[in-house]
Amino acid sequence: MESVEATPVNPSGESGTGKASTKSTSPRWRYTLAVLVIALVVLIPVFVTVMLAFRPQLQSRSHSFFTLENFSYVFSQTQVLTWLRNSLTVTLATVLVAILVAAPAGYVLSRSRSKAVSGYALLLFIAQSFPQIVSIVPLFVLFAKFNLDDNLLGLAIVYVSMTISVATWMMAAYYDSIPVALEEASWIDGCSLFGGFVRIVLRNSLPGLLSTAIFAFLLAWSDFLIAVVFLRSDTHFTLPIGLQTFFATNSTEWGYVMAASVIVMVPPIIVFSFLHRYFSVGGIGGALAGH
Amino acid sequence: MTSTRAGSSNVLSGLSRARKGVGLGGRSDRPPRPPRRFSNRSITLALLVAPSVFLVVLIYGYPAIYSVFQSVHNGNLVNPGAYVGLQNFQAALHNPAFWQAVRFTVVFCLVGVFGSWVVGLALALLLRKRMHAPGFFKTLLLLPWVVPVVVTSTSWNWLVATPTSPVPRIAQDLGFGQLLFLDSPGLAKIIVCVYKVWLSFPFMMLMASSALAAIEEDLYEAARVDGANGWQLFRRITLPMIARSTYISWILMFIFCIGDFQSIYLLTGGGPVGSTNTLVVLAYETVFGNFQTGPGLAIAVMMTLVSVLVAVVLYRRIRKVEIS
Repeated sequence: MESVEATPVNPSGESGTGKASTKSTSPRWRYTLAVLVIALVVLIPVFVTVMLAFRPQLQSRSHSFFTLENFSYVFSQTQVLTWLRNSLTVTLATVLVAILVAAPAGYVLSRSRSKAVSGYALLLFIAQSFPQIVSIVPLFVLFAKFNLDDNLLGLAIVYVSMTISVATWMMAAYYDSIPVALEEASWIDGCSLFGGFVRIVLRNSLPGLLSTAIFAFLLAWSDFLIAVVFLRSDTHFTLPIGLQTFFATNSTEWGYVMAASVIVMVPPIIVFSFLHRYFSVGGIGGALAGH
Repeated sequence: MTSTRAGSSNVLSGLSRARKGVGLGGRSDRPPRPPRRFSNRSITLALLVAPSVFLVVLIYGYPAIYSVFQSVHNGNLVNPGAYVGLQNFQAALHNPAFWQAVRFTVVFCLVGVFGSWVVGLALALLLRKRMHAPGFFKTLLLLPWVVPVVVTSTSWNWLVATPTSPVPRIAQDLGFGQLLFLDSPGLAKIIVCVYKVWLSFPFMMLMASSALAAIEEDLYEAARVDGANGWQLFRRITLPMIARSTYISWILMFIFCIGDFQSIYLLTGGGPVGSTNTLVVLAYETVFGNFQTGPGLAIAVMMTLVSVLVAVVLYRRIRKVEIS
């Protein structure tokens, strides 16, 4: 699609003068420039974070514009590495379990149109429209009984259930693009329903799985509300909570705050920049409209 | 390897659309060919959804019941307390802070949904124009949504919070006088709404992009031949063709906005003097700030009822939205 657009056919042919050819390319530069300007303005808050993270503190003697001092302070004097490890652990666990739960559920949502499944679709939708605040207090009380509060496992359980609706819709949307004929063929060859799902559908769903994984990653990595309610001991903090403590104790030390912020935002940006081409939320609409 | 798989399944996607009615379920046009033992099918399907049903019940069902229970008691996080009837609800409904939060929740949701939709759609349309590296710019513009809120709320704070921050200084240089963006109720509300639009437009842009990509270019060609101008093309072709996707993105964004806690709490903490409290922030503050579990959960239960009711009513209408 894009490659077709990238080589516009000039109806006037090669006979056009240099002036004519600049005329046909200039709107392209104009649009590029417009988007570039918009992106620069929109991303000011992101640039500011990076800029302040690498800028020397105001009272520091160094006159350079670039320093790694903030980072060396943050890594050596705070528990950022512990928090980073906690965040990675919780997030990866969430991603794995969310996929294990949503991948089969999405298959049912995609392939079955029975009354029970419509009810399940509605249940998912209602769950998604529940504000987290109403769940968080009871869960805190419940999890405290099992020592799952102030615990990364407890956190991951809540994150998985928070992702479950959207993750299931995303998987269902992807399965919708895989022809049922493929499974039907496998059934004729003697595959069970489950066998057909695993061997035929799941094996062809890598982009859908990655898309769901990215979504779960972003949600678990960025969560603040659940973590701030659940976690108390600073060795169990995830990065977003760790960042807040920082803010409170070093409120004027923007360099440190921003250096820690950069550490918080780098993993999702890395994940997203490598995998963004698989990421698609557009299909959710189809999955929602189907029932 | 991965890209070949992605490519092949995309090619197949058109095929499946035509066959979409042919599923495993009971009400398709043509009876499907199920695996040999028919009863196994429903058992397998049930087992496939079982884990997610279990989680939904555990994380949403149980808490819902518990919250309703606690909202009619005067207990705290440790002790259930005594039954007090609807006192907590009455107290909330007579509290001016509650109604202030209701008003701001409505404004916040309306601006969040439609503001981010307008910006997202405009950018999605712009990115369809012929330009260099559209994919790169699309990824860049998704960053406000990808970067965690804890980070961006910090940098927004740095940009606007104190009188010596860059934005107030620029405003002063432009002759607006000294504006205290997060210390005056009106301005704080505006900043919170702008921040929410900034956070949410990428999601709307993604939804709009994929809907726009599905419109066939022939439609525009035909309309252009008939002499339609740009606005008419947008009004009569683009908008109707993306109507359903637009509607669904509004519903989802409404859900995201009404339940949003962290973007407000981290930017203003609900202040100044409660002016940027939404119901979620107010409920959180009542439970964890004032340790009034009952009254806080009464607020949470009421807003959950409204959220679920509105969402389900809108959801029921999805299929009625015309694609024309």
